[in-house]
Formats: sequence, structure tokens, C-alpha cells
Amino acid sequence: MSANKESSLVQGYIELNKFCQSGDYERALKSAGKILQIAPTEQKAFHCKIICFIQLHNFKEALTVLSNPKNAALAADLHFEKAYTQYRLNCPKDALQTVDNAPELTLALKELRAQILYRLEQYQDCYNLYRDIVKNTTDDYEDERKANMSAVVANLAALNPNADLPQFE
Amino acid sequence: LPPPMEAIPCKPLFFDLACNFIEFPNLDDKTGAANSKKQGAGITGLVKGFLGWGSDK
Repeated sequence: MSANKESSLVQGYIELNKFCQSGDYERALKSAGKILQIAPTEQKAFHCKIICFIQLHNFKEALTVLSNPKNAALAADLHFEKAYTQYRLNCPKDALQTVDNAPELTLALKELRAQILYRLEQYQDCYNLYRDIVKNTTDDYEDERKANMSAVVANLAALNPNADLPQFE
Repeated sequence: LPPPMEAIPCKPLFFDLACNFIEFPNLDDKTGAANSKKQGAGITGLVKGFLGWGSDK
């Protein structure tokens, strides 16, 4: 890589980083595009581009770009982002498949998988997964997760009133 | 005449917690911030030197 190209790449990333930090997704998207024009194989710029589309709620464009065979190498590691866009586009079956194709079930993928199972009305699997997640996480969203879990339990109870389910106060 | 009132199950609240994992990757290695951190360490080294602790320079 020429020194000139390298320095404009660093400049591009400094700009991109600034917009990412400030949450200016429109400008960050443009910066990422500029970087990819100079160096089309920049995985991190591609990753940022996808995050921008998602933050801008442009899930359709995110999925189109992720699914484009031309971007296969760039998108190879973005399992979570792809599954999330599929989930938001109301394709829970595709989303589940994407999650299960990932080499490793990370915490993010687990959380998403539980939400997908809820949407697929697979409440028993969903409940089991949530129990696992709750046991193994400590973050600021424990109340929300508990709310999700009680939604799952409510659905399970509606399906089978005699099931042995936890009580929520 | 309105029909008699009837209880119906309400749709439970369900939060999207996975969205919190939608994050930008760390770009420090690309922006040279990792290098400037080393420079920062260099400055503290200088200060240390000034205070008489940094004898390695």
C-alpha cells in the first residue's frame, strides 16, 4: 500500500470514528463509504456501514448489502448483524437460521435467539434459553429481561394452564 | 346496544434487548489511537523523568 493511500485511510478512519462516537450515522455512513472506495476490503469500515444502516432503521438496505455475494468476505463474520436485520424485517425463520449458522453462540446471539424464538412462538425453548441468559448475565437490562421472561411464561401458561411455571410477583 | 364487556388476554410487553449489542467495532487500531496511547505513556514517562523516577532514559 502506498504511503499516500495509507495516510488517507487513517484520515478516513479518524473521521469515521468521530461520527461513530457522536452518533452521527448519516455522516458516518458517508465516511465508511469513502474508506471502502479507497480500500474495498476494509472489513471494519464495512462493519461500521452496516451498523449505520441498522441505527438508521434501514434494515432492508443492511440486509441487501450483507447478502450481496460480492461482499461475502466482508460480511463473513457479521452473523449477529445479519440475523438482527432479518429479525427486524420480520423474517424470524431466516434469522434463526443465520444465528444457528454462526460458529459460536455469543451472548449477543443468545439474546437475539431468545427474541426470535418468542416471535416464532417456540415458548418452551425460549423460556429455557432465557433462564440460561438470566443466570449468566449481569447488566443494566435485568428488569427488561425479566419482563420478557414473564411474557414468555404468560404465553406458556395460556397454552398449558397446568404447566409447572414460576410465579412472578 | 353494546355487547356485554368481556375480559381478553392482553399482549405482554416484550423488549428488544438484542439492539443493545448493535455496536460499532473498536477503530483504535485503524486511527492510530493505539499509537497515541503509547505516546501518552511517553509523556508520563517524561513527567516521571522530571520528578526523578524515570532513570531508563
